[in-house]
Amino acid sequence: MDIKYIGEHLLPGQLGHFSAVLAFVASMVATVSYFMSVQSKEELLKESWKKLARWAFIIQALAVFSTFGTLYYALYNHYFEYKYVWRNSSRDLPVSYLLSSFWADQEGSFLLWSIWHSVLGLILLRVGKKWEAPVMTVLSFAQVCLGSMLIGIYILGYRVGSNPFLLLRQAEENLGLPWVSNANYLDFITDGNGLNLSLQNYWMVIHPPVLFLGFASTIIPFAYAFAGLWTRDYKEWIKPALPWSLFSAMILGTGIMMGAAWAYESLTFGGYWAWDPVENASLVPWLTLVAGIHTLLAFKFSGHALKSTFFFLLITFILILYSTFLTRSGVLGDTSVHSFTDLGMSGQLLLYMAVFTIPGFAMLIMRRKEIPSVVKEESTYSREFWLFIGSLVLMIAAIQITFTTSIPVWNKIINGLGIKKLLNLQQDIAPPSDGVFHYNKIQIWIAIVLGLLTAIVQYLKYKDTPKGFFTKKIAIPTVVALVITGLIGIFGNINYDAYGAGFLVAIYIMLFCSVYAIVGNAAYIFIGQKGKLKAAGASIAHVGFGMILLGILISASKREVISIDRMKMLDGGFFGKESKENPRENLMLPRNFPVQMGDYHVTYAGDSLAAGDAKTYYLVRYERRDPANGNILEKFTLHPDAFLSNRGQQQLTPNPDSRHYWTKDIFTYITAVPIKDDPANDTAQYSSHEIAPGDSVFFANGYMILEGIQPQPNNPNYKAESNDLAVGAQLKVFTKNNEQYNLLPVYCLRDSSREITVADTVAPLSLYVRFSKILPKEKKILLQVKESDTFKDYIVMKAFIFPFINVLWIGILVMVIGFAMSIVYRVKLNKVKKIQS
Amino acid sequence: MKKSNIILLILIAVAIGIIVTVAGDFSTYETFATARQKEGKEFQVIGKLDTTKVMEYNPQKDANLFRFYVIDKTGETRPVVFYGTKPTDFEKAESVVLTGKMSNGEFKCSKILMKCPSKYKNDQVAMGKA
Repeated sequence: MDIKYIGEHLLPGQLGHFSAVLAFVASMVATVSYFMSVQSKEELLKESWKKLARWAFIIQALAVFSTFGTLYYALYNHYFEYKYVWRNSSRDLPVSYLLSSFWADQEGSFLLWSIWHSVLGLILLRVGKKWEAPVMTVLSFAQVCLGSMLIGIYILGYRVGSNPFLLLRQAEENLGLPWVSNANYLDFITDGNGLNLSLQNYWMVIHPPVLFLGFASTIIPFAYAFAGLWTRDYKEWIKPALPWSLFSAMILGTGIMMGAAWAYESLTFGGYWAWDPVENASLVPWLTLVAGIHTLLAFKFSGHALKSTFFFLLITFILILYSTFLTRSGVLGDTSVHSFTDLGMSGQLLLYMAVFTIPGFAMLIMRRKEIPSVVKEESTYSREFWLFIGSLVLMIAAIQITFTTSIPVWNKIINGLGIKKLLNLQQDIAPPSDGVFHYNKIQIWIAIVLGLLTAIVQYLKYKDTPKGFFTKKIAIPTVVALVITGLIGIFGNINYDAYGAGFLVAIYIMLFCSVYAIVGNAAYIFIGQKGKLKAAGASIAHVGFGMILLGILISASKREVISIDRMKMLDGGFFGKESKENPRENLMLPRNFPVQMGDYHVTYAGDSLAAGDAKTYYLVRYERRDPANGNILEKFTLHPDAFLSNRGQQQLTPNPDSRHYWTKDIFTYITAVPIKDDPANDTAQYSSHEIAPGDSVFFANGYMILEGIQPQPNNPNYKAESNDLAVGAQLKVFTKNNEQYNLLPVYCLRDSSREITVADTVAPLSLYVRFSKILPKEKKILLQVKESDTFKDYIVMKAFIFPFINVLWIGILVMVIGFAMSIVYRVKLNKVKKIQS
Repeated sequence: MKKSNIILLILIAVAIGIIVTVAGDFSTYETFATARQKEGKEFQVIGKLDTTKVMEYNPQKDANLFRFYVIDKTGETRPVVFYGTKPTDFEKAESVVLTGKMSNGEFKCSKILMKCPSKYKNDQVAMGKA
């Protein structure tokens, strides 16, 4: 049966899918042709294969661009007949976030990756020279693998890839549904599902392209290393591979830290790094890549460490594939909050990993004897020796992070092999309950060693360092670093004791090491390189690295939660045994009612909506007063915001707002708000308290003390009459934020028989107090207290101070600049050498 | 012995040392029953929200107290106290992973991890006339 559907735009989809298939086929042709070109002995045959391969690669690149263009076109025009468009965008989505929609899902992000491979490939066509054919074989083959993720064709009953141009009515879950046979079904689908709210952020427009360029570029060092093994030209490849490796490390590092910045600015786990599996999975390849760069340099200048260079550059790309597998196969499920959903491509992803791992490492193992190495041992006083040690330390870091991150994989393996009993396990392995400390306690020691090595290794010379040279040169930086550390230690007041004294000692050692890394490398520019900035890229990158370590250390160890709910501490919580599990970090702010928080008085002053913006903005006013005279020293307003609903469903998706200073950030976000349209029903009951003067009564927002009983009370709601016998309970109310109120509820006996009680209230607290009886025998009075629930305008928020977080951000910039300078320097050096030879 | 061999040995020793230390932090997903046997020790329990019982979160009384009931894998229902705000979309969580300890029949937890139904799993197309 053929239904003629009305209103569908099928052309873009057909074009897009055709392009995707074309890209897949053309990259296969390119792979085979480049392969033949490498394997051919005759020069003429080599060239003609290469020519064919080039054309094939250019066609595949154009096809990838065309796929990208069509998908964007469909998104831009809201063609909801396509599942990808329907699933990831909606009509009200600002155009600037359309790109976020583009890579919100697996297919789009694979496409992004593929685009970067194409761009890098086109550059390699120009600059590859004699390495073009073998390197491009690897790259083209990667394009075959990526292309296969996007074709969505059934081969032998197994669906290969997932087609981003799949029509909504053809999607598996919709097949057979009644609306699918409705010719005018599009009339009913008026809007898309919309983009995940946490992705509606400008960081999500720029972070993925940079990160994926980082991912994509790791294949080039891999391909060069592979080409070196393949063509048995074991040494020559490192020259072009060095600037590419630097480029890759720079971009991947930037991409990772942009993700951290996104997390810091728009997610609410209260920081920039949470050791989440997704973060870890992209950090680990960066660590091995940096290790590879260092062994590569060691080899270049001393001839040592060639095998480890092969190893590190090969493993980096494999780890990128492993991280892709972790985040995209659904295996992380329980342990990560932000992985992709399973598209049923686990098998394909594993295959992708295998087809690169096996040939790469098989060749490295088989040809290990052919790889040239220096017989003579390196001297302990040589730079290459310590570069090698540093790389091994980076690898230990990588191993530890991978080991813990892979827990879900261990579970799969254990269950798959059926060896649970053997390991004496009843249940699945769970990640450490204190995840952050689990990583920190190991990684802090690694950071210490790395900081130390970063500081001193540049002062060693390759091959051998003359005695006295090293100690003479490093003396000044060491003293300076010690002095600075001492000053920070004395004035910085670092007393992070949540994990005991041992960890605090480690913090101080790391403080010294990171300062040492900064000072040592900054000084090296003058001591070692005589101020020649052109060659100082490495030193500058190392200064940046030191600053990153320092920034992480200070902002993490001195992070302070200021939104502590101090009131509940009074009834036993704070000093009791529960204090550790209940840190009381959420603070409730009633509207227009200042609450003390750290040095600040904070007032929630209402919410507001902006036209064309789905978010609600909350005005939170901060005020800092001079404790001596009460003058306002500082005043500012933060606007933490939140999406209150998602497609008509109640849901709070908050975004933080921060006040930035040079020395700290005040970071604020909403954790709960009342449901606005809830009918206000006052269900609160009066609670009774029998008290004598001097006794106190606690309530949610503070406590009150009965100061005394006052005859002839003066309460505006009470009008004295002649036969009254009236007394007032003179109460002093102390609130959370040290504000005081006086209350005077009145008890009156009128005409010796009629009891009248006149309640008194503290309006901002919705506090009602009644003086309802005198108990003469006990010399006490009966006081009734009620806190009303009707008061419904409030927010619950958290606030942190991140001190010196700018050191971290500046450190990243400095490191990127250092990398860029090194790349320029190395590329120039390579060119000069070519002209000379 | 060559220096590189010594380094390799040290490296392996350090790596094993770290992995053993690290593996010591690993735990397993447990049930309320095991948590009750060792009161005061921290466990991770997987369960489902008991929707027949009331959830209680009143920030005006205490912004850091959220009470609810969870049924664990064995079917045991326990009251749970969480010291924090009620997580967004808590009602919709398919399953929850609670980190905390048992005390007086209540499970006091400091961390909740929710497994939400995937946004895409139930790709039900909402049909409505414009």
